Amino acid sequence: MRPDLNLDYALLVPEYILGLLALAIIVIDLMMPKIRKDALPFITAGGLAVAFAVSLLYIDTDDNFAGLLSIDDYTTFFRCFFIAVTFVTVLASAQYVQTHLRHPGEYYSLLVISTVGAIYMAAAQELLTAYIALELLSFSLYVLVSYAKMERRSNEAGMKYMLLGAFASALLLYGISFIYGASGSTSYAEIAAAFEGGTEGFTFGTLIGLTLIVAGLGFKVAAVPFHMWTPDAYEGAPLPITAYLSATSKAAGFALLLRLFSGALMPVIDDWQFMLAAVSAITMALGNLIAIQQRNIKRLLAYSSIGQVGYMLMGITALSPEVSSALLLHMTGYVITNMAAFTAIIAYHNASGAEDVSDFRGASDRAPLLAAVLTVALFSLAGMPLFAGFLTKFILFQSVADNGYFWLAALGVVASLVSLYYYLTVIKEMYVSAPPDSFQQEGRFRIPLIMQGAVIVLTLGVFFVGLYPAPLFELTDSVAAVLFTS
Amino acid sequence: MLDTIPENAVWAIFFLPLASLLVILFLPRSQATAAGVVAALCIGAAFVLSLWALDSSLQADGHPLSFSSHEWLNVGDVLEVNVALNVDGLTAVMLVVVTSVSFLVQIYSMGYMKGDGGYWRYFAYMSLFTASMLGLILFNSILMVYVFWEMVGLSSYLLIGFWFHRPAAAAAAKKAFLVTRFGDLGFLMAILLIYVHAGTFDIAAIQDLAIAGAIGQTVLTWFALGVFAGAAGKSAQVPLHVWLPDAMEGPTPVSALIHAATMVAAGVYLVARMFPVFQVSPDAMSFAGAIGGLTALSAAMIGVVMVDIKRVLAYSTISQLGYMMLALGIGAYVAAIFHLFTHAFFKALLFLGSGSINHATNTFDMRLMGGLRKTMPITFITFVIGSLSLAGFFPLAGFWSKDEILSDAWAHERYLFYIALITAGLTAFYMFRAIFLTFFGEYRGGAEPETGAVVATLSNQAPVSTEPGGFEPDPVQAHAAAGAPHTAPEAHHGPHESPWLMVLPLILLSFPAILAGFANYNHDIEHLLVGALPEGAEVAEPTFRMGVAIAATIVPAVGVILAWAIYHAKVISAESLARLFRPVHSLLENKYYLDVLYERVVAGFLFHKALGGALATFERYIVDGAVNGAATSVRQTASVLRYLQSGQFQTYGALAFSSLVFTTVLVLVLSPL
Repeated sequence: MRPDLNLDYALLVPEYILGLLALAIIVIDLMMPKIRKDALPFITAGGLAVAFAVSLLYIDTDDNFAGLLSIDDYTTFFRCFFIAVTFVTVLASAQYVQTHLRHPGEYYSLLVISTVGAIYMAAAQELLTAYIALELLSFSLYVLVSYAKMERRSNEAGMKYMLLGAFASALLLYGISFIYGASGSTSYAEIAAAFEGGTEGFTFGTLIGLTLIVAGLGFKVAAVPFHMWTPDAYEGAPLPITAYLSATSKAAGFALLLRLFSGALMPVIDDWQFMLAAVSAITMALGNLIAIQQRNIKRLLAYSSIGQVGYMLMGITALSPEVSSALLLHMTGYVITNMAAFTAIIAYHNASGAEDVSDFRGASDRAPLLAAVLTVALFSLAGMPLFAGFLTKFILFQSVADNGYFWLAALGVVASLVSLYYYLTVIKEMYVSAPPDSFQQEGRFRIPLIMQGAVIVLTLGVFFVGLYPAPLFELTDSVAAVLFTS
Repeated sequence: MLDTIPENAVWAIFFLPLASLLVILFLPRSQATAAGVVAALCIGAAFVLSLWALDSSLQADGHPLSFSSHEWLNVGDVLEVNVALNVDGLTAVMLVVVTSVSFLVQIYSMGYMKGDGGYWRYFAYMSLFTASMLGLILFNSILMVYVFWEMVGLSSYLLIGFWFHRPAAAAAAKKAFLVTRFGDLGFLMAILLIYVHAGTFDIAAIQDLAIAGAIGQTVLTWFALGVFAGAAGKSAQVPLHVWLPDAMEGPTPVSALIHAATMVAAGVYLVARMFPVFQVSPDAMSFAGAIGGLTALSAAMIGVVMVDIKRVLAYSTISQLGYMMLALGIGAYVAAIFHLFTHAFFKALLFLGSGSINHATNTFDMRLMGGLRKTMPITFITFVIGSLSLAGFFPLAGFWSKDEILSDAWAHERYLFYIALITAGLTAFYMFRAIFLTFFGEYRGGAEPETGAVVATLSNQAPVSTEPGGFEPDPVQAHAAAGAPHTAPEAHHGPHESPWLMVLPLILLSFPAILAGFANYNHDIEHLLVGALPEGAEVAEPTFRMGVAIAATIVPAVGVILAWAIYHAKVISAESLARLFRPVHSLLENKYYLDVLYERVVAGFLFHKALGGALATFERYIVDGAVNGAATSVRQTASVLRYLQSGQFQTYGALAFSSLVFTTVLVLVLSPL
């Protein structure tokens, strides 16, 4: 071990808390069968809240752990981000897990562990650490996607996700080895330094390495043409896990991409920029066009999220401090919106078992609050003003156009129009179509208070970001600046 | 003379309707009837303040009043969006139009919507609309304009689909939303483009840069065309006009306010606001003029064959909006906005009149009306006033503004002058056709009121609008088509004048419909509007041409006489005319088959089936492989392993691998080595 390594273990306290929490949940689940059913999600949520609070203590830290993990504002931002997403997911899962799944202990425990993986993906400043963090997240997700083990679709989805994930990991590792071969290091800073002097002599290897890394990470974030696992995994996974996939798994992929490309690969930007531009363009085009045809709400949102990945990849393509900050802003807005949409869908599903778009007919009569929230969220996803989606997307598009990729931004505008079309079909079902006959006997759905509270808070978030984005934008701007200071 | 309006008062104009929205939202449902009063009071106050703003603007000779700029989104040097109010001559004119029409429409709505289950919701949406529309006018940043632009689109969507349980209304709402968004694509791209090149969202700054020649010609042309695309969507210009006639599914006061007087004029307003930019780009100008001319003429021709009075008015609106665009295209900026100003009043009057007729007859089908002049004298008189004004007869409001456009067209673009002149004749013809069918002759029975919670309005809409009828009204057939039993007029109460809440706004609107033209008598409006332009922008000097004025009176007069001869005196048989011009007639009745083209071919086939379908099929059969087949086999064997060997995963893997190889090859070919 090199003596100059900084082994300040205190930097990792939030993750210790999360690790202990994961263990504690399993132990409680095993040892205290009496309280396990109802209390587990709330214990988990409490632990997450503690970890969140502790993470806040690291604001303005600028340090690293053994040259492997940066503990800076970027990491702090994502610590809070991922812990918050898990918090919402856990609360949204409470009812669902009780009625649909067995072994809740492991479920919550795996969610917490996957959060650690996601955080380290954002924190890693070295390729192998990044890889291991990614695997930590992925393996937890493989299990979680197939968690409804009595359900064929869930098993199928988990298996597919795992095999393709393994495939992607192989590509990524292979790519990493090429980059290592070309630069002689796996540390982001050293890679950047090696490439700074030009890539003569190993351009070919660099290119192959870059391609493989784009492909491998493309799988993880579900970029076309590496998106095939997404619809199946989204459809098969338990609903809260679908929500979690669409938020954390995606955001973590982008957190990694952003630090990797800005920290290590910026000097060879000419070698990868066009690749990402192409991937971004086909991703938003295809994702949105195929979404039109979907009848299952989870598949619809899966393709919609693929389209959203296209917008976000735009931000990696035209990489610069402004674009990064816009990307972080958009990602935050997107995740809040998406969690609002999914929480509403979960609550509706708990009450009705709905899965298809047509099951939402008459939702405005059966569950007015959920219908309104879902409408707000879908309008936001489509990029309507007043809601988060417009402003964050606009700022992203505008900064991308400003950095020389006007055509990509223009394509994004067109893709948003297409997305409005299929979101409107869902809204139409909810408000225009009459509720099924059973409505007369059943009356309105009873939605648990906690779900009502969650959707209301998330909806307020959607409006807040949409109307007054300045605080959040300032935050993401200072966070993104960290990436470009060195 | 009052003091200059303080900034807070201008903010109040914007916030009053918002306050009304909030109050209505939190109103106890038992007090829902108060919603109308709240909305009308708030907008009434906004109207008074708007008059103050107009007065201040007159004193400032139309130049922008100076208000402080507020920081909204400033992040380092990344992005800077400041929000400031902008009150100049153009704004002041628009403010008065929007708040006055809105105020009268809210009063009218209290009568019209009485007893509707969604009474409070209606006024909430209306307040939302008014606030958005005022925001669109008041702010100085093009980004804010876009935000409110979309907000008015959203409130229009909500209001067209107000009776959302009726499929036709829901479909119309969605259509309007999507079609206008098509234009908005261009607008949003234009904003992105101009920001890249000008580095600001501030409209005045963009205008100055354009005039100073600091932005390239090509960029400006694309920007102007993008803005025009947005305007064409909202102002229903060909080929994006198809949503407006369908939007008539909304409640009639909504049609009057949003789809006649204010929102649809927003496109014209936007082009006028960006007028200095258009001037720098002659190509965009002549394009706008040509589209405007095409819209004016083609919509007026459809108006001639419609049998639904509200659709006649809808096509008339499209046609008049085309008129305004045409004017902007030839540089007649003052004339265009002047026409917008007068049009708002007489068209709102006509729409509210049609609502009043509907209130009495339960239908919009003119074949079921007739003879209403005796039973509904006030509606009749005000409707005739509106029609005369629209047709442009001296000395009513429409005459002055239309004459100015014609005069400018004569001076600048001869072919557009003739288009505008023919349109004027057609306008007079279809309006008086409507008057003779509705108010003269014998009453032809109306329709049964619709039962249920929903106020009966458009029950006969769909069959009426699609059923190819003749020139000649055929009440029996129409009744059969509408599915309503043929009832003698005596069978129910018979038509009667509407309640005073509805009649009063008609009377009040008649005054500006007659007199608004004199607003420019001392060139007041002209000063206001010209003062709103930045230094260096040139405007065509409007001149009065006696020859044009005479032509502009004779041609509509011929139209009226023809309408009288065909529909009242019946000297000429409408049926034989229809037979004579069969192909043209059916072309017009089917609105040039554009709806069919869009709905079936473009949206249905090309977009949904061919493109989306092909991609989805690709996913389903090639990418998704044998999901279904595999699923069946899994069900049979319950073996995951077996399932995995059935080609599913291999397909995925193979596809992923081939994409990777493809990407790699692409990279090697394309990479800048």
